[in-house]
Amino acid sequence: MTKQLPNNDANIHDIDRLIHEPNRLMIMAQLYVVQSADFTFLLHQTGMTPGNLSAHLSKLEDAGYIEITKEFIERKPHTALALTKKGRAAFKQYRRNIKQIADRLPE
Amino acid sequence: MAKEPNLKEIERRTYMSYHQDGLLDIFTGVYILGFGLGIFMDTVWESGFGAIMPAILIAIVLPIWVAAKRRITMPRIGFVKFGHGGGTSKLMAIFIGLAVAGLGVAFAFTIATFQSGSRQLLDLIFQNGMLIVGFGSLAVCILFGYSMGLKRLYAYGLLAMISLVIGHFMGIFFAYILLALGTTVIAAGVALLIGFVKKYPLKGDKAIAE
Repeated sequence: MTKQLPNNDANIHDIDRLIHEPNRLMIMAQLYVVQSADFTFLLHQTGMTPGNLSAHLSKLEDAGYIEITKEFIERKPHTALALTKKGRAAFKQYRRNIKQIADRLPE
Repeated sequence: MAKEPNLKEIERRTYMSYHQDGLLDIFTGVYILGFGLGIFMDTVWESGFGAIMPAILIAIVLPIWVAAKRRITMPRIGFVKFGHGGGTSKLMAIFIGLAVAGLGVAFAFTIATFQSGSRQLLDLIFQNGMLIVGFGSLAVCILFGYSMGLKRLYAYGLLAMISLVIGHFMGIFFAYILLALGTTVIAAGVALLIGFVKKYPLKGDKAIAE
């Protein structure tokens, strides 16, 4: 028998597919625990190839989840990546939803 | 279905990766070494260095540490700013808490000493200074090691505690123990730095990980 889900609980359709993709989830989680990080740091932390990371970052930027800031450190150009307020809220919501769904699954 | 990411583990790993370069160890070692040297110079020449050495060292060591991070670590593994519930804010809270607690204890102690007019407590602290510093170092290392996820700090704390306890009972001069401890921590830091530079070699302007 299928368990009836309460209306106020998240269901599988509420999961943000943009974040749910494993590589992007890794990027979002990594940026969630810091204030900002640069491309090289994310490359090492996620283990992705530069092209792959760049493509995922573009998708997250297009969705307004991350912001890319160009700055100069010791006269060298430097690109800082950080979650936006929208991105931080979306990630929190994603975590809540996934937890609710996972909690309702049978052992 | 993707599992919920373990943020604590990611945060711990991020913090650890930023301190795997050994620079923290080298500069902590230099600080301990300098402090020991200050006490040694104080004793031998009555230079008065022991009292001002911690401030001098902070003023010298901190900017060099920041510069070394920028020149050695950042080009290799990139740059990260902690602070969003990350390690630094937690660490800063611990640091401020320890500083406030330390000042509070020192203040209470001074008041108690003046009011009682007795030097008994003061004498007791001076007689057991190495034991107090030894166990205090262990506590601080455990606290920082736990919050930063750096298990090697436990080893440093244990080493400091054991050597200071031995020094206390064998009557070894405090400065000698600090000099030996500082040298050991620097050696460990240099070994880590060599490993880090080998693991993340620079190639042109960018670094590649093995």
